[in-house]
Amino acid sequence: MSVDKNMRILVVDDFATMRKVIKNLLKQSGYNNIVEAEDGAEALKVLKSVKVEFVISDWNMPNMNGLEFLEAVRADPELSGLSFLMVTAEALQENVVLAVKAGVSDYIVKPFTAEILNEKIEKILKKS
Amino acid sequence: MEDHDALMILINNLASDFLFIDGKEIDVPTAGKFLNTLDGLIKEADSQKMPQLKGVANGLSFLLEKIVLNGVEDKEAGFDALEKGITLMQEIGESIKNTGSYEGDIDTLAESIATLTGEQLLKDTAEVPREEPQPPEMAEMADASLVRDFIVEGLEYIDEIEVNILNLEQDTENKEYINIIFRPFHSIKGVASFLNLDQIRELAHSLETLLDRARNDELQVTPGLIDVILDGADVLKAMIIQLRDDLEGNPAQPLEVDLPALRKRIQGIEEGRTDIQGIKKVGEILVEDGTVTEEALEEGLKIAGEAVPPKRIGEALIAEGKATPKQVSQALRKQANQTADTSAVRVDVRKLDDLIDMVGELVIAQSIIRQNQIVQSNGDSQLAKSIVQLSSITSEIQKTSTSLRMIPIKQTFQRMSRLVRDLSKATGKSIGIVMEGEDTEIDRNMVDEIYNPLVHMIRNAVDHGIGTPEERIKQGKPERGTIQLSAYHRGGNIVIEISDDGKGLDKDRILKKALENGVVDGSHTLSDQDIYRLIFHPGLSTAKEITDVSGRGVGMDVVKQSVEKLRGKIEIDSVPGEGSTFITRFPLTMAIINGMIVRVGNEKYIIPTVSIRQLLRPEQKLCNMVAGKGETINVMGNLMPLVRLYDLLHIQPEHEHPWEAVTVVIEGENGAKCVLVDEIIGEEEVVIKSLGEGLKGIRGVSGGAIMGDGSVGLIMDPEGLFELSEM
Repeated sequence: MSVDKNMRILVVDDFATMRKVIKNLLKQSGYNNIVEAEDGAEALKVLKSVKVEFVISDWNMPNMNGLEFLEAVRADPELSGLSFLMVTAEALQENVVLAVKAGVSDYIVKPFTAEILNEKIEKILKKS
Repeated sequence: MEDHDALMILINNLASDFLFIDGKEIDVPTAGKFLNTLDGLIKEADSQKMPQLKGVANGLSFLLEKIVLNGVEDKEAGFDALEKGITLMQEIGESIKNTGSYEGDIDTLAESIATLTGEQLLKDTAEVPREEPQPPEMAEMADASLVRDFIVEGLEYIDEIEVNILNLEQDTENKEYINIIFRPFHSIKGVASFLNLDQIRELAHSLETLLDRARNDELQVTPGLIDVILDGADVLKAMIIQLRDDLEGNPAQPLEVDLPALRKRIQGIEEGRTDIQGIKKVGEILVEDGTVTEEALEEGLKIAGEAVPPKRIGEALIAEGKATPKQVSQALRKQANQTADTSAVRVDVRKLDDLIDMVGELVIAQSIIRQNQIVQSNGDSQLAKSIVQLSSITSEIQKTSTSLRMIPIKQTFQRMSRLVRDLSKATGKSIGIVMEGEDTEIDRNMVDEIYNPLVHMIRNAVDHGIGTPEERIKQGKPERGTIQLSAYHRGGNIVIEISDDGKGLDKDRILKKALENGVVDGSHTLSDQDIYRLIFHPGLSTAKEITDVSGRGVGMDVVKQSVEKLRGKIEIDSVPGEGSTFITRFPLTMAIINGMIVRVGNEKYIIPTVSIRQLLRPEQKLCNMVAGKGETINVMGNLMPLVRLYDLLHIQPEHEHPWEAVTVVIEGENGAKCVLVDEIIGEEEVVIKSLGEGLKGIRGVSGGAIMGDGSVGLIMDPEGLFELSEM
């Protein structure tokens, strides 16, 4: 089964440059349908307004962090099955367990290459 | 037994879920599910006192975490161990159910988990291994535009750190502040790691780690820690600027930073050393100054140590004739200056508020003594002198104590600059911000209060003031608009000006709208200022022109109200085509008010001086009864309604005719009114006292104050008075 490169991916990070970095990496793997949000709260609004197939979210954000956002997604019956990839930094690995327990699809540690990102995406989508 | 059954169900569910796993690899969502079940199991086993079961569940949970974190090299062996563990739990459960105990072996499993994870199982919360980040392929990544974005955003983030660290310094226990500072470092580190900016990544990482540990209560937020963070932020900034110079092809300035020293300091803080640079000893200072030789110092130290009782080194040197008392005292002063930087004390703001309150009381008490009849009529010149001294000391104390709560307005300005940036993005306008007088100080309690009105004015300037780049180019202006924020002190107020170089106010349009809406009747010629002021009128709300930016439906009337609520004033200056300036004046503190003390009958009242336009005693011919408008007084051509304060307050006045009494012209929302009082006693700074819950919300009265002579006066609220007079 091949992955639909046209699926809509939501990239959530408060640092605009970081969003751009991730977007560039996604584009290198052929994903072009990307929407962005600055934090969890904004991301939830995006999810409510357009159909998104895949979420890539940072952990550490103001207002609503990645974990809270993940929990909100999992608690929402309409969104609970959404593929959710959490981006973490090595200093925050202890948080990974929290995210795993909260139902994250997978996590990825900064920095990463386009290939690794693509592998993660394909792996997650294959399972679901 | 029921509890035990619940436990068995948990274990059996785990076992059957395990059977459904494809291959020998556990994916993240499944691991999450297992971890949650194991958590439940651990709790149950703990409450049912089954240590073996708890131990195994703990071990499995630990192993799973490791697998998820890629901490287990041999995945297949890890999977097998999990399987064994689940079977073991089933055995233990069954055995306890049947025989009440389990005698089998759990150590083999524990050992295999320990071998797999390379750690002892006994530790409940084991450290998670740090994964070595794989360097991404930089050729693809280090795209110049990304670096440029990083520079801009990174510098902004560092500014934010500087602002927020001030907050942390005032409230070191507040985890939210640590979080706010942590985030920018974290973001900078993240992007730097992608862009292969190793120096930046490494520094941001170590600063972030410090904050992370402070957040987890592993480190205390000390002045030393704050200093290192600030210095670290400075260095990061310098590195980013260097990067920018590099990118722009400017000769790169060498980084004038002692990076190893900074690293050492960070490390020192991490290890919990309170590494305040040693304060020099008096002797060292004397040697440095060349006052005494090192030999003489050593000799002096010896003598000082042997003396009974031991002498201080300074004393010994003086006694020996090696140094004069003056030289020693100079050295002592130098030493004191050294400590000045590090001797700041953190004080709870509530304590400060209490202190300032008490000083307020002191000022009043002092003034009561001074105005006391017996004291006044007493001929003793010594007493008079002492009282003068007392008042001057009291007023010094008051000044100093008020200044304790003052902080620079910088922080507010920085927030504004962020706002302008966001707004200009949202509106597609290009706007820069210039700040002036950021170090101007303001009462900490005022900072939050002035925030909202300032935000509204900025929104207005962005939305209505500054045009789109196309419009601006057409008008021959630079494409990029500018908003200038300035602050300065003037006459006990802080003045904050917000200027834009936009279109300026459209006089004709405002006037036309005002006429349409019946806000003005066109019978008077209005000055430019009068016309500008009309935009504060609620009837001229710009609600119809809702845009994304100021679309929250806030008109300038609301801005004016909120400024006035703070006893501030707002003025507008505008030149068509060149821009507008909104000038707001706020009192430096909300605790003290400048009031005009007036007398009506035997009662004294305080009218806030800011709302008084003028004082006058009108001629009889200027006082009229106008049909439908009631009594009016003609003040320089304007008919103003007359408000008889004694009527509203039911007091027997001394004078009933305006031409015998005094008229205070008070500015209100909807124009000025003349308020009739018997006498003006004088102007005084009074400390505002709340009237307490019971008397709160009385119309026309905003608070109480104890006046110089010890009597209590009520502070009038002009708006409320006017409302009363219209009832």
